[in-house]
Amino acid sequence: MESQAMIKDKPTFQGLTNNVSLYISKSHASSRINKTGSWRFARPVYENKTAPCSASCPAGNYIPKVVMHLSKENIHGAFRALIQENPFPATCGRVCFHTCESACNRGSQDQAVAFRCLERYIGDMAITENFPLDAKSLAAGNAGNIKVAILGAGPAGLSAAFFLTRLGFSCEIFESTDKAGGVMQWGIPSHRLPKSVLDHEIQRIVNMGIKIHYNHSLDAEFMTTAHHSFGAMFISPGLSVPLTMGIEGESHIHQGLQLLMDIQTKDMPLKQGRVAVIGGGNTAIDVARSLKRLGADPVIVYRRRKQDMPAFAQEIVDTEKEGIEIIELKSPVAVQKIDKGFILNLVSMAPVTEKGNDGRTRVMPVDNTPETMIFSEIYSGIGATLHDSWKADADAPESAIKLDHVDFHLKDIPFLYGGDCVNDVQSVTHAIASGKEAAIALSAYVDSGIDSVKKTVDICRLGAGKALSMEIYLQGERRLNSDHVVTDTEINLDYFTSTPRIEPGHIPLKTSVTSFKEVEKTFTREAAMAEALRCYQCGFCNECENCRIFCPEISITRQNGKKMIDLDYCKGCGVCSVECPRNAITMEEEK
Amino acid sequence: MQTLNISDVDFAEPGNMSCPGCGASIAMNLALKALGQDTILVIPACCWAIIAGPYPMSSLKVPILHTAFPSAAVTASGVRAGLDMKGDTKTTVVAWAGDGGSFDIGIQSLSGAAERNDDIIFVCYDNEAYMNTGVQRSSSTPYGSRTTTTPGQGWKKTRKKNMIEIMAAHGVSYAATANIAYPEDLIRKFKKARELKGGTRFIHVYATCTTGWGAPSEYAVKIARLATRCNLFPLYEVEDGITYTLNEKGDTPVDAYLNLQGRFKHLSLEDKAGIQNQVDKDFAVLKNKLSVC
Repeated sequence: MESQAMIKDKPTFQGLTNNVSLYISKSHASSRINKTGSWRFARPVYENKTAPCSASCPAGNYIPKVVMHLSKENIHGAFRALIQENPFPATCGRVCFHTCESACNRGSQDQAVAFRCLERYIGDMAITENFPLDAKSLAAGNAGNIKVAILGAGPAGLSAAFFLTRLGFSCEIFESTDKAGGVMQWGIPSHRLPKSVLDHEIQRIVNMGIKIHYNHSLDAEFMTTAHHSFGAMFISPGLSVPLTMGIEGESHIHQGLQLLMDIQTKDMPLKQGRVAVIGGGNTAIDVARSLKRLGADPVIVYRRRKQDMPAFAQEIVDTEKEGIEIIELKSPVAVQKIDKGFILNLVSMAPVTEKGNDGRTRVMPVDNTPETMIFSEIYSGIGATLHDSWKADADAPESAIKLDHVDFHLKDIPFLYGGDCVNDVQSVTHAIASGKEAAIALSAYVDSGIDSVKKTVDICRLGAGKALSMEIYLQGERRLNSDHVVTDTEINLDYFTSTPRIEPGHIPLKTSVTSFKEVEKTFTREAAMAEALRCYQCGFCNECENCRIFCPEISITRQNGKKMIDLDYCKGCGVCSVECPRNAITMEEEK
Repeated sequence: MQTLNISDVDFAEPGNMSCPGCGASIAMNLALKALGQDTILVIPACCWAIIAGPYPMSSLKVPILHTAFPSAAVTASGVRAGLDMKGDTKTTVVAWAGDGGSFDIGIQSLSGAAERNDDIIFVCYDNEAYMNTGVQRSSSTPYGSRTTTTPGQGWKKTRKKNMIEIMAAHGVSYAATANIAYPEDLIRKFKKARELKGGTRFIHVYATCTTGWGAPSEYAVKIARLATRCNLFPLYEVEDGITYTLNEKGDTPVDAYLNLQGRFKHLSLEDKAGIQNQVDKDFAVLKNKLSVC
């Protein structure tokens, strides 16, 4: 190589250097002539993998990508990545029971990343700054404008409309009440989900050009006539009929669901005295916390143990924090009216070793002598079931294709059943999964016939689980990701020092139990950034460049914004794959 | 995790003759990013005499002067004198030697250059034995290590020479330890050394040799990082032989480091406890120096 330094300057000591030869032999050839790649017996390959959070998220959120954008302060990018898979980020950021956090690999180092709160932060930013839906990157198909009738404007119906519209279907929603949102609107109290947030997210979907017919009767007549004007039906009636316990004096028990609905629509009188809420699910919790806010002193009565409650764990903790007592292992057997209230007769229960058909712990009465408690009112919050008029319809015939979140009945036109009437777990996020799966299934049916439906759904899976990705269906880059779900041992913890999880904080307890103001706060920008940096971004190349920095062979370069491995020279040492903090480089044996 | 910010301008080229996963290669790539184009390297007998490639090939984009084993420092002094005569004050002269060419065979000329305070940077890339000739022990080989000249039960029973303290004792303007697993710190130190013209600067770079240490090549950087995290190779700087600055504080037991390498696999639990004890003592001594400044 040329040594500029040696030849360019004039000698200072002219007389001396004139007599000294300054010639030093110089190399002129680069070592590039040695194709050291021939030494290699394993080669590194960039391979994004599936993160456990994504695989466990019913909505299939691309969490590592969302967090990558967020950690680079690209909030628009984060929003785009979220909305690709989930039309309700601000809503899910509040009410989702976050299986992502239970699956989070970070949990084995310190605590799971608070992704629900991050999702909420991004969703809230999108609302306050009115981020547009990036129609270009979201829209993808033109399904010949096939008209789809969607029955029910709940989370399943709305997300079906969102995904179907993107795929080129033309959607009309028929809703029996005067508001869209379903259980998100009337079932979830505003201390958990402010209606302004929900309405904004619904409006964002409606603005895609979706027509909603409110107060529309969804009777048998409608069903028989509708399929003349539509090419497909998506039916998500939700569970609207409260379950009954079949006990003596049940008529004295108020319906919790009705209370939740009334709170949304009417001015409610204040309540007082000790009030019982029967049940252990989210409905019971919501009813109890709402009663507390109306001035009563609610008590939750549950027939199994606290750890058996189907309500989300954090909700149970928050409920007890608000001073609401949970009486476990008591089952109501009768209600009697007295002068100043009601007597609730309860028998004590005890768990038995043998489990029920659903895998849950069973309980049996210990003795049949009931104890009595006096309450000023008694509410039931034990859940709801499908209205009779839907039951016959929704019962899948043998010819139906049962998908994870949708039943696909091919009659003269496709009838797709989704939401709570099909899902094992009744949650907003599962309803979103129904909407997405229905869109993928219908689109596959239209493109390639009934036989392709299951196959197409399988292609869109994240890992081996039930989560589906719309980006994969749309042939986005995510389809290239490996199905391998990254485990905690595959993360290079050298790059992640232990730092505690950041919580968003709550409004003071005094304020929260006396009003329907939202209890949990949203992250500040700083908190969101700090929490985003805790995320490993499992299996997702976030361009950290460690591979390039540590490559002993200068064989990793960036060309047109993409990293390239020069296999002419890569010796296959594997340093890049180990120093990749998040397992986005795989070593493959040379064949 | 915060990402590293390292320039993608390289002064080295692919096709070099290093073993797969060579720590010394990583060290050179990173060091040249800091030193830049106006650098002349003087390389004695060592791995890098081979890695750079046989004449007329070179894997580096800067001039290299190959020299005999003992004379890296004094040759660098000579190149410096030549450049001075030509009035070239811009070019940095860097002697780049292995541990043999610094700790053992090269120490007299290094000590001489440091005592004369010649205007050079002397870099020891330390792979803790004579690796190029087939893993013979050097005075840099740590206690407990097996090499081809300390095999079997004859594993090395004496400790590693404390080279940076020897150099600091010369009172040189800048002596520092650096580690390939800490690229930002390493680059900062080389930049600092380049700026401190006018005297001898010494940088001791920890450069894993997975071939000689009996470790999988992919662990080259991981092992280097553990050396610092276990306080076996603390990262610090000494200015004018007096002012000590510690850059990283480790808290990992030495087992994590030892267990990854074949050269230590014969050590008993007591041996390892002894190494831990020594490391703790050494680190305490270093910390005392910090409080002096």
